[in-house]
Amino acid sequence: MEDRSTRNGDRPGQEPKEEGVPRRTVLGWLVGIINVGVATAIIGPTLGFIAAPLTRKRPPGVWVPVLDENELADGETKSVSFQLQVQDGYMTSERKYSAYVYRKGSKVVAYDPSCPHLGCHVEFKDRKKRYVCPCHGGVFDEEGERVSGPPPRGLTKLAAKVDGGRIWVYKV
Amino acid sequence: MTQLTERPPERIRETPEPPHPVLEELKIARPSLKDWLDLRIGWWGFVRKNLDEPMPPGVGWWQTLGNLLLTLLAFQFVTGVALAMYYSPSPDHAYQSVKYISDEVTLGSVIRGLHHWGATLIVITVVLHILRVFFWGSYKKPRELTWLVGVLIFQVILGFSFTGYLLPWDQKAYWATVVGTRIAGTVPVVGESLMALVRGGLEVGALTLTRFYAVHIMVLPVALMALTGFHLYLVRRLHIAGPVVPQKGKPVPFYPTQLFRDAVVVLVGLGILFTLALGFKPELTDIADPSRVDFAPRPEWYFLGLYELLKLMPPQLEVLGTVIIPGLVTVGMLLLPWLDRSDSRHPAKRRWIIDMALALILLIGVLTLKGILTEPPPQHHAPAPAASVSSAAPSDTR
Repeated sequence: MEDRSTRNGDRPGQEPKEEGVPRRTVLGWLVGIINVGVATAIIGPTLGFIAAPLTRKRPPGVWVPVLDENELADGETKSVSFQLQVQDGYMTSERKYSAYVYRKGSKVVAYDPSCPHLGCHVEFKDRKKRYVCPCHGGVFDEEGERVSGPPPRGLTKLAAKVDGGRIWVYKV
Repeated sequence: MTQLTERPPERIRETPEPPHPVLEELKIARPSLKDWLDLRIGWWGFVRKNLDEPMPPGVGWWQTLGNLLLTLLAFQFVTGVALAMYYSPSPDHAYQSVKYISDEVTLGSVIRGLHHWGATLIVITVVLHILRVFFWGSYKKPRELTWLVGVLIFQVILGFSFTGYLLPWDQKAYWATVVGTRIAGTVPVVGESLMALVRGGLEVGALTLTRFYAVHIMVLPVALMALTGFHLYLVRRLHIAGPVVPQKGKPVPFYPTQLFRDAVVVLVGLGILFTLALGFKPELTDIADPSRVDFAPRPEWYFLGLYELLKLMPPQLEVLGTVIIPGLVTVGMLLLPWLDRSDSRHPAKRRWIIDMALALILLIGVLTLKGILTEPPPQHHAPAPAASVSSAAPSDTR
């Protein structure tokens, strides 16, 4: 058996005693750098791919006719639903949406049914003239203002208009 | 063989990291993360044991293929999980979702490219790895089970290729699977039932896709991880076999020299992978159409040998090409350590098994080459017959 320290430095696996930085340290650093590079090469593109939704732009809103003007009396609140064709990832689908419309005199207001707390759909109780959230007990009046419960604010208003004898809601 | 691994745990304390000046002051209150973890899970001891793994003299570049394979498999796992976030295993949406990944998602074509070309590189690497172990005779006692588990891993990798090929649901995918599953139908007696079981029905359709998807993303990954874990455990337990003719010298620790070789080979392999993924977008032919008669199905290139073998078989001998020959080769590979009973690992001292393997490699090589060189008939991109009388009734692809 030969003594390791007398061996030629070119032989694989040997650690010659040299001046300066030992071979073992240099190789260790190279291995570390390559491994970091390999990890970056796979993690980088994969994170970019998974995070692709962040680069997607919100599609523009659209005016949707929801009721004839004479279908909504003064002081009345109605739930309306409509379908929109949406681009849903790799497919185009007909998605159903709903909104509340409320008339006060000549003014028409529309509300998004999603509770501003955590997004459950609120239900309008006609007898009490109150919106009630089924999840955590948020309550709103018929103007959409918060009455009680955990929601931080009133219902989200959607733009609404009366045009050509129909009530329109702007769905964003 | 001198063993460097059996070190007492005290070794950990023999070579401490240079103390950090600040942490040194807080030493009693706050041990280093390394010491903290080591006390609880013995992590450093595990790392140490693996880095100090003795490499017999003469171990070199040929012993880097396993590590490259492991890295490529890890890449497949990561890109596969990412692709599954966008893919839909339904005939109504599979093709669309793959097209969406390729054309619209940020970096989608790169991730799909890495997964597609990674599969090819894995097949090449695993074959080279098997050939290296075979010619070095490393499967001999006491490493018979390491070999056997390795052959099972090879089968799992081929299973990945076969099931993954269907997922894009394009013409190529659909027809290759019609033919591939039809092969199961040629098994005597139980063929029809076996084919229905593989297809999840009588025809290749929605249930085939979900079945292949479940196998591809759940069954095979679990099998691969278990087998690979066992394989690596055995490799570390029994150590690397070293050259056929033992060379002079002492064993050398795995770290840093051999690990550096591994890293270089990984770097080269990944260089090839990224060149392919960035330069050559994986093909996506037309959407699967069971009514078309103008499509010439061809399997992925590494199955072309089998494809050509089937062309040579007369009808009455079909089962020879579909089941018996591939089955015998597989069983032969699995049982290799018990078929080759010679004491020596030297190729010259186990002629018959070497000769048989060379003949087999030559045969597979020639058939594969023949398959690659055979021009497929020109593909017409004519639309399907306009008058689709039977649009509701799928054509019989059985």
